[in-house]
Amino acid sequence: MGDAVQGLTLPETRASRAIDAVLGRIGRAASWLWVVLLAVIVSNVALRYLFGEGRIEFEELQWHLNSVAFLVAIAYAYQVDAHIRIDLVSSRLHPRAQVWIELYGTLLLTLPFIALVLVFAMPFVAHSWSVSEISPSPGGLPFRWFLKGVLPGAFLMLLLATLSRLSRLWAYLAAPRSEMGGA
Amino acid sequence: MSGAEALALTMIAAFIVLVFTGFPIAWILGGLAAVFTALAIVLEVDFAIPMNIDWFYTSMTVDRIWDVMENWVMVALPMFIFMGILLDRSGIARSLLTGFARLLGPVRGGLAITVTIIGVLLAASTGIIGASVVLLGLLGLPAMLENGYDRRLASGTVCAVGTLGILIPPSIMLVVMADRMAMSVGDLFLGALFPGVLLGGLYIVYLLGVGLVKPAHAPATPREPIDLAAVWELVKAIVPAAFLILAVLGSIFFGLATPTEAAGVGAAGALALAALKGVLTRKVLTEVVEETTRTTAFIFGAIIGAVCFTLVLRGLGGDELIERTLLGLPFGPTGIVICILIATFLLGFFLDWLELTLIILPLVAPVVASLQFDPVWFTVMFAVCLQTSFLTPPVGGALFYLRGIAPPGVDLPIIYRGVAPFIIIQLVGLVVIFQWEALATWLPAQAYGIR
Repeated sequence: MGDAVQGLTLPETRASRAIDAVLGRIGRAASWLWVVLLAVIVSNVALRYLFGEGRIEFEELQWHLNSVAFLVAIAYAYQVDAHIRIDLVSSRLHPRAQVWIELYGTLLLTLPFIALVLVFAMPFVAHSWSVSEISPSPGGLPFRWFLKGVLPGAFLMLLLATLSRLSRLWAYLAAPRSEMGGA
Repeated sequence: MSGAEALALTMIAAFIVLVFTGFPIAWILGGLAAVFTALAIVLEVDFAIPMNIDWFYTSMTVDRIWDVMENWVMVALPMFIFMGILLDRSGIARSLLTGFARLLGPVRGGLAITVTIIGVLLAASTGIIGASVVLLGLLGLPAMLENGYDRRLASGTVCAVGTLGILIPPSIMLVVMADRMAMSVGDLFLGALFPGVLLGGLYIVYLLGVGLVKPAHAPATPREPIDLAAVWELVKAIVPAAFLILAVLGSIFFGLATPTEAAGVGAAGALALAALKGVLTRKVLTEVVEETTRTTAFIFGAIIGAVCFTLVLRGLGGDELIERTLLGLPFGPTGIVICILIATFLLGFFLDWLELTLIILPLVAPVVASLQFDPVWFTVMFAVCLQTSFLTPPVGGALFYLRGIAPPGVDLPIIYRGVAPFIIIQLVGLVVIFQWEALATWLPAQAYGIR
């Protein structure tokens, strides 16, 4: 699928190349967290059967790893256009129409959603940081404040990915029609 | 209907319309949460229509996202996805296909049965209908056509099996459904097992029947001489992978592991299989983790969008409106459930299971609960309805995905005629599960007895 809107190649821009390179690197590196997560789960099961009880910090570590990995992945998946679309109808539209839809959708839906989460995540995270929040469970992990901070961090990455895509959509629409025949 | 409820209905309608633009579902859902909060505030402030929601209410979206983050059960998703993708990428799936094909090929209809078995085993990995139909279409369709299978039969089999896979545990659809219905993933896995196996069994009976009645449609492949070495190859291909899937389900059944643990251990088992087979290179592992990231991301992206959407919809009174409307239907409890299932079937023409599970299931769940139906049974029925819907012409999703990758000569009319017998099988299955609730409820109850 790569760098396409529904099978249609968008031109790169200087900004998009820079942003996508960084986000791509972060996304690919974060993918290895799945292997770490797998190791943690297997260790916890092994501990439980060898020593009779699982460790609460191992269980917490599992969802900590999962949420860090999937939050970072959301921005990465946007950059490589892996998010689920229902394209049975729209794929029959003219490529230019698809790009206009993508542009309006990004401006009117994606950006307001990102703004919503970023604005309201700030007080949520600020409170957690002000008390250096830790897990309420005995034996739980001490860095809940960090995990909460990942949420706005991931949405900032998503914002960058969105700006990168906007620049590419705009470059497509601004180019002379003859150069961009489409799919 | 109040002004707020009218806005809630508009919100649902806006979602369904926007879906057709092909814009990513996650952003449509999340974006509508923001846009409709703003709309509600404008309507309340400038037009004095009471709306019950404001920015403070919608700020709770962050708490809902946090609930998704700290959800331990959902850790099972990436692990099942990892397991399935690894089985596919490491070539274990392909050697299963060739292994079973050698074993079953000499039976008329055997190749199609092979595709059925592979589809069921691999289903956990693919995440959406499109992906599993494409996978089977690329893996199984050419093999069947080369061996002289009827184009209708071959394409119908791929579509039906590609959709059946989402129903048979370990299935990521069932994990998401269980989470949204606040029920145990283990219960739903066990509840879906017999209905899923029943449908798969009916497919196989049908395929064998075609082999008997119309041998030319499902010819046997030439029997290869089988010596001890060949048998050993076969055992090596089939036994470990089958053992892996059974171990995952068995450990959940006997209460040895939670679904999250079973998923993690299953993923580790798939790693071990790939390593033993000597195919676990850095390149393969890199592909697998990155593919896992992409699939996990679109599922969690849609979940996060959906929790925001649902929060605002609920604030506007949308869920009470749906509940009141459904309970007000003059058909009695069974009739109401049938209405819900028919609506699900119709919506399945346009939406994949992910959207329906995230948006529709939570809306109808309280209604079903208040009518005293078993939630596991209802969720299984909901799932089978969805699966049937994806298969049904003219707009079932599976048909178009197959058309997209099928070789020339396999056109939509061919596919339409190919799936027709499978749709009849689905309807039979639906009636059977509807009549014999125990098909879905017996096994979970047994598991509690054992634990």
